[in-house]
Amino acid sequence: MTTPETPDIEGLLRQLGPQVLGALARRHGQFEACEDATQEALLAAAQRWPKQGIPDHPRGWLIAVATRRLIDEVRADSSRRAREDVTGEPGERYEPAPGEPQPPQHDDTLTLLFLCCHPALTPASQIALTLRAVGGLTTAEIASAFLVPETTMAQRISRAKQTIKADGMQFELPPPDQRAERLRAVCHVLYLIFTEGHTTTAGPNLQRVELAAEAIRLARMLHRLLPADGETTGLLALMLLTHARRCARAGPGTALIPLADQDRSLWQRQEIEQGLGLLEHALTTAAIGPYQIQAAIAAVHCEAPSAEQTDWPQIVALYTLLERIAPNPVFALNRVAAVAMANGPEAGLAALSMIENDERLAGHHRVEAVRAHMLELAGDRTGAAVAYRAAARLTTNLPERCYLEARAAGM
Amino acid sequence: MKYMLLIYDNAGTRELFSGPGGEALSEEIGALMAELTASGELAGGEALADPAQTRSIRPRGGAPVVTDGPLAEAKELFGGYLIVDCESIERATEIALRWPNARFAAMEVRPIMNAGGGQDI
Repeated sequence: MTTPETPDIEGLLRQLGPQVLGALARRHGQFEACEDATQEALLAAAQRWPKQGIPDHPRGWLIAVATRRLIDEVRADSSRRAREDVTGEPGERYEPAPGEPQPPQHDDTLTLLFLCCHPALTPASQIALTLRAVGGLTTAEIASAFLVPETTMAQRISRAKQTIKADGMQFELPPPDQRAERLRAVCHVLYLIFTEGHTTTAGPNLQRVELAAEAIRLARMLHRLLPADGETTGLLALMLLTHARRCARAGPGTALIPLADQDRSLWQRQEIEQGLGLLEHALTTAAIGPYQIQAAIAAVHCEAPSAEQTDWPQIVALYTLLERIAPNPVFALNRVAAVAMANGPEAGLAALSMIENDERLAGHHRVEAVRAHMLELAGDRTGAAVAYRAAARLTTNLPERCYLEARAAGM
Repeated sequence: MKYMLLIYDNAGTRELFSGPGGEALSEEIGALMAELTASGELAGGEALADPAQTRSIRPRGGAPVVTDGPLAEAKELFGGYLIVDCESIERATEIALRWPNARFAAMEVRPIMNAGGGQDI
């Protein structure tokens, strides 16, 4: 036994949680029951370990306890077939006797991520299930992070589990020919969690789980499991390079400070260095992909001493490449904004006229915000004020609206 | 994205729910609520009591003044709302179109502002 003052039991439990659930689900199927049993085992550990100390084999301890709970549950259900599945495997077999070597560290976290991000689930369910089953967050924590009632979030999780059951999804790695595509789905879910939590303010919502930090933790986990996958590395780098700027993004109250006006000394150098290192490694060892390019763009910003001294032609080139391999109107809009910085506002406005009628951008406030900024650079203050106001009306984000209104008033 | 579905009443719509077809309408709402609960999209909602119980507050010469009853000029009165958390305004509109009140009086679908999030600008 380790001494009771051993730190960070919660961190250990959140790291082991997905491994325990993975081990159970691989052995027994029945994802929903395994998930419940794992939660109970984690709860038991959270209560016991601070007093009694961490067992020598914490993972084996958790698997043993969870397996016992699973068997109890199945017995209580008095489902004959399920009983045959598990009663031949007494939970005790997982618990190594003192002094015995630790069981092999078979990490099923990756399989678990693939299951939670299965394309048959809705994005909302993928996110909820990933945070619960892999992230180890409680339903209440996830609900509060997304500002929805706990019952709504509970329903999303239970619906996801029902879909898994009804579709007969197996707890196994996707076949090799589907793996790349399924991995992209996992990365996308982690990216969605990150952008949801990419908050401008850290203060007023102390109860809120920091989703951006959680997304980074999950991306690190994925990167550890698949260190050679360039896009996984690129995703982690993109998150770190973006997250590094968080302190400079928020002004007093709800004010939003745009990249150009941020105090760059507030950017977190350690996260930037880590992001740059990961990116360089991915770019030199793996096939290029959209996350790596987005991380490369973030890196150009992070390396620039000021907005004026930013290598804008490089950013234009990166956006052009990004659009080619991952066509997306928002990337096109970002390229336009970079063109204005590289070649002047007239060139930017001309580029905007080429894309503004794309129906996928209809009603998007960023079109007007980018136009406003270019008109301001061109000296057309009246036109800029009109466009800033239009953008303010179209955004649904409060800090952004305040920023755009203030900009319009300043013209 | 969260959207509020605003449900308005005009003269007569509230009585529809206590009239002969009222039970069928209530069942229709119950079924839709159950569906939205099951899909994890329902994030809130309330029905308001009769407009006769309203207290209105209006500014008069820079100070708020209270009067009984709804604002006199309103033809359609706010009667209740739903909050849905769903993929797009198209999906929220689809839900509003299926809400039975939409056949009798106005409804509005409006995005709810969020305070955090947002990208670098």
